[in-house]
Amino acid sequence: MTTTLERPTATTARRPGFDRVLLAEWIKLTSVRSTWWTLVTTLVLGAGLTILMCWGNADWLASADADESAGSFITWGMMIAPVMAVVLGALAVTTEYGTGMIRTTFSAVPTRGRVLAAKLLVLTAVMFVVGTVTALVGYVGANPFLENEGIGLALEGDVARSMYGSGLYLAGIAVMTAAVGFIVRHTAGTISIVLALLMVIGNMVMLIPGDLGDWLMKVMPGNAGAGIATPVSFNPNLLDPWAGFGVFLVEIAALLALAWWLLRRRDA
Amino acid sequence: MIRAQGLTKRFADTTAVDGIDFTVEPGRVTGFLGPNGAGKSTTMRMILGLDAPTRGTVTVNGHRYVDSPAPLREIGALLDAHALHPGRSARDHLRWLAASNGIPTTRVGEVLDIVGLDAVGGRRVGKFSLGMGQRLGIAAALLGDPEVVVLDEPVNGLDPEGIRWVRSLARQLADEGRTVFVSSHLMSEMSLMADHLLVIGRGRILADCSMQDFMTDHAASYVRVQAPDTTKIEALLVDHGADVTRRGAELQVQGIDAPAVGELAAAHALVLHELTLVRSSLEDAFMALTADSVEYHAKSATEVAA
Repeated sequence: MTTTLERPTATTARRPGFDRVLLAEWIKLTSVRSTWWTLVTTLVLGAGLTILMCWGNADWLASADADESAGSFITWGMMIAPVMAVVLGALAVTTEYGTGMIRTTFSAVPTRGRVLAAKLLVLTAVMFVVGTVTALVGYVGANPFLENEGIGLALEGDVARSMYGSGLYLAGIAVMTAAVGFIVRHTAGTISIVLALLMVIGNMVMLIPGDLGDWLMKVMPGNAGAGIATPVSFNPNLLDPWAGFGVFLVEIAALLALAWWLLRRRDA
Repeated sequence: MIRAQGLTKRFADTTAVDGIDFTVEPGRVTGFLGPNGAGKSTTMRMILGLDAPTRGTVTVNGHRYVDSPAPLREIGALLDAHALHPGRSARDHLRWLAASNGIPTTRVGEVLDIVGLDAVGGRRVGKFSLGMGQRLGIAAALLGDPEVVVLDEPVNGLDPEGIRWVRSLARQLADEGRTVFVSSHLMSEMSLMADHLLVIGRGRILADCSMQDFMTDHAASYVRVQAPDTTKIEALLVDHGADVTRRGAELQVQGIDAPAVGELAAAHALVLHELTLVRSSLEDAFMALTADSVEYHAKSATEVAA
């Protein structure tokens, strides 16, 4: 039925476009301090650890005893930076559930899939940029120590790929965590699950003997996705960088599908 | 306008809302009254499409809320004033809300001004008092200049001045032709705010009438009589067709007014110590009406329906 009132707004206004929902999620993410703390920590630890490890190990890497590649050290910090991507991805979703603000969000944007999509796009953009910048700062700070020992790396080929690869990997981690956040709806639970998956289970499966253990190790999200973020992996048994990243994307897509399905079904 | 038809919400082992029908009309304040756990919040969440009804439908201006072309311009809702990120400022909270519906940012300042929070708009809401949080929730509800305003327990945590402000705001919104739907578990508050009353208990609509009708129908009155010898007076009153209930030392008389009781007593030379007209309050009427649902909740310790 139509109301007799002459209020043109609701009946004649067009549904706000997806760009409005994106802007809303951008404002949400950038208007809380935890986001900035997380991103600054990503940069400081991600780049700082790379620089520190290259400074401390340059002479050893240049020596005859070295059994690791300088290419593994030039992105060393990317082994720690995923923790911050997990925190950011979780907080972007679970604080809304923790506070109940998610109901305000879904009142403002009743089509829940748009909220999911907007959150993921904003997280992807932010984490890709911060991840890539972190890798570049690490490279710029660490490479002079390697050059001093005559093992400097040119910013090309696999090294260049590992720079934006770091951005892609961290963005993937943040999106995967956000998907888990929509499923679990609880901050501590989400962070614990994803960190366990990346840091603990990803290494534990190596203990399973035979081909099964080998295969599981390769496809665990942390292992499959991490290859793209380094020129030379510490673990020689991983999938090729792009093949691994493809597996990682499929895993993220599966989690997102589950998150989206639950989001549509469940009461907010 | 909000219309519910056969609206039902069942959780695992409880029926929070049990097949209710109602219409909330524009241009007046409709009070949604019920004890805690009666189904008020669940109903409001279903109006906003946050909870899916188990059965039945609820529409806003003729369509489901999720199909709304401009959600915040259609309904402004305050569901839980504390459902905010404590680290975000009031202004930023309103800013993202406005952005999500393409509402100009200038409106943020306007609503902060309306609710009296303009001075603290930049402060993080985690530091807000209960009342300030409530005001921010109302600001968010007004952001889209909506046709329908839904407020769940808006006076909770407000000081007397704030309560009066909410009352006049609800009145003003209704006078502007908007649909105003306000829930409360306090009858006294509703009697001051609402034109129309929807009483819910145990998930069912117990009354759907104007405030005036509710007062006439449910707020019973009686004449209290105290006297040294109530036995004679009781017999006398009963003879004259009155309905007399003995409660301790006093008589509660219905069906005959106070002057008539006095005149009868005088005519028979009986001494009275008290002759008072007692109007039972609306609160009493509400308690009587919802006694079943309240009793139910008191007995069932596990019941925690929202």
